[in-house]
Amino acid sequence: MAASPQLLINESAMGRNRLIRRLGKLGLWLNPVFAYFFLWAPILILVLFSFNESKSVASFTGFTLKWYNNILNNVMGAERAFSTEIMLNAFRNSLFVGAIATVIATALGAMIALAMARGKFPGKGLIDGLLFLPVVIPEITQAISLAIFFKVAFDWIAVISGERVFPGFHTIIMAHVTFNISYVAIVVRARLADMDPQLEEAANDLGANPWQTFWRITFPLILPGVISGALLAFTLSLDDFVITFFTSGVGTSTLPVFVYGLLKLTVTPEVNAISTIMMVLSTLLIGISLALQGRNASRA
Amino acid sequence: MSTYDVELIDIVKDFESGGGRVRAVDKVSVQIADGEFFALLGPSGCGKTTTLRLIAGFEQPTAGKVLIRGIAMEGIPAYHRPVNTVFQDYALFPHLTVEQNIMFGLQMEGLDKKAARKRADEALELVRLPGVGGRKPHQLSGGQQQRVALARALVKQPAVLLLDEPLGALDLKLRVNMQYELKALQRDVGITFIYVTHDQEEAITMADRIAVMNEGELLQVGTPRDIYEHPGTRFVADFIGETNFIAGTLLERRSDGFGAVRLADGTMIKAQLSEALKTSSGAVTVAIRPERIGIIQGDDSIAPEDASMTALDALLMDSQYIGTDTRYTVRIGDQIDLVVRAQNIDDRESAAFAIGQSVKVYWSVSSTTVLDP
Repeated sequence: MAASPQLLINESAMGRNRLIRRLGKLGLWLNPVFAYFFLWAPILILVLFSFNESKSVASFTGFTLKWYNNILNNVMGAERAFSTEIMLNAFRNSLFVGAIATVIATALGAMIALAMARGKFPGKGLIDGLLFLPVVIPEITQAISLAIFFKVAFDWIAVISGERVFPGFHTIIMAHVTFNISYVAIVVRARLADMDPQLEEAANDLGANPWQTFWRITFPLILPGVISGALLAFTLSLDDFVITFFTSGVGTSTLPVFVYGLLKLTVTPEVNAISTIMMVLSTLLIGISLALQGRNASRA
Repeated sequence: MSTYDVELIDIVKDFESGGGRVRAVDKVSVQIADGEFFALLGPSGCGKTTTLRLIAGFEQPTAGKVLIRGIAMEGIPAYHRPVNTVFQDYALFPHLTVEQNIMFGLQMEGLDKKAARKRADEALELVRLPGVGGRKPHQLSGGQQQRVALARALVKQPAVLLLDEPLGALDLKLRVNMQYELKALQRDVGITFIYVTHDQEEAITMADRIAVMNEGELLQVGTPRDIYEHPGTRFVADFIGETNFIAGTLLERRSDGFGAVRLADGTMIKAQLSEALKTSSGAVTVAIRPERIGIIQGDDSIAPEDASMTALDALLMDSQYIGTDTRYTVRIGDQIDLVVRAQNIDDRESAAFAIGQSVKVYWSVSSTTVLDP
């Protein structure tokens, strides 16, 4: 019988490797803990102090809902500038701008996504790349460019028609549509990419013309993506400050612009409370949006 | 009125691909009769699926004509053609129930819901899948989804049913069962089936006629027996079943359909000429199926020993037991290796030939085919 080679096990090397593996596991656990601490700590403090009895952020003296009560009942807070009426008005403005901008951006964004996924035309690659531009360029750049664009456009209108147009809801809405189209298109496109293009051929094969195929097959299948995109757009619109600030006119303050106005004076517990409400609302909308995006297209 | 259900006349299909043009289908002409089970067979990328898509109307031919029941299909979109497709991955609508999937095509015809539902239920029974109408496609197994896809296409009672590798995604056992079922179903409904597959066994078992395609060209059309027994080209012989190819030189082309071929080692054999053979003399390939070669002990003699048989001395190089058969590799002369398949009639190991021993191999000259090299 031939001698079988000795199976060598290096005990000390195995022990060392075990230790390294354990440390690695610990590291993998600690890493997100630290990262999330930095991410969430400021927000936690904001939420915490919105329930703080004391007006000062120096210490947490006890739990209270009075700041939430204040913002709803027009009780003057720490600052005279605050009034429930102005706040609710700003909130209504936010909803109004958000709703209209969302409808327009969703329709346009979904159409772009469809054209990108199904169409064949020259310059498609370029348009495809440009689609991501509004997502990556600094918001302040976009805000300034929009402000300049509106000014130039209004100057031209004034020259041609003799009428002076002023910024207002229409400019905010146009600005919001501009940055939201990309987000909607990206979300809807992801959904379309998930969808088997053979389904449309199958519908064709079974006698459905392109119109019937779209409404009976394509649209129902991308609907979760469209709704998800719309919720994302609505949330971005509600949350937007910079672009709104640069494109708004007189009396068209949205909620974030209003909150900024309060901040100029001092941070009050009421601001904490409003911010907390806004955050909860946004999180909720984004949560629904993500849940819809996560739904598997093959099981829709 | 044409007597054919589907007629392709010099179909050409070019695709643009990265600046260049790729010819997917090259001058394909074929006639498919009413009620025929017709298989389009070939390796992947041979143009068989493109041909099917040209008939379905998903693609338009670059040149040539598609006729369905004698009517030219040029400019007629897929949704107006009297054909239906069973897709490879079924392409069931995931947001609709099984019943709604089957009703879809009927409702597009303007049938009311009640009548459509009744027909859908009948179709589900036809494919032996009653009672699953309320379920969503993803709740069914692959085999069941396949039946739903079949029901959805058949319920429209098309002139021609197009099937694109419909059994490709199923496991082997289910696939074999479905082959018999599909064949039986086709006989029952009497609809013309055009069946695309890369599986030669599937094509042979199911089809009335097979068209073998390669690189966009239609190489041969015929019954499974025709194709298997009388392959017209080396590619067809190689693609369908296992074949021995022996290089040789054609010395004489006789009027009775046979020829004299000198093999590389100088051995002279008589072999049947393929009808498609272009070579009149010179280099050729002789094809012979492993199961058509007999093997006996080297000192045995075969009967009858006449011109209809070829017998050659050989050396057994290798032996492989594969259950039903034994696969021998034998060497003729000093360079020609042949694979021989012998059925294991005897269950004893001693009955098999031993590696290294001398044997005699023999075959009927009609089992050989002389092909272009």
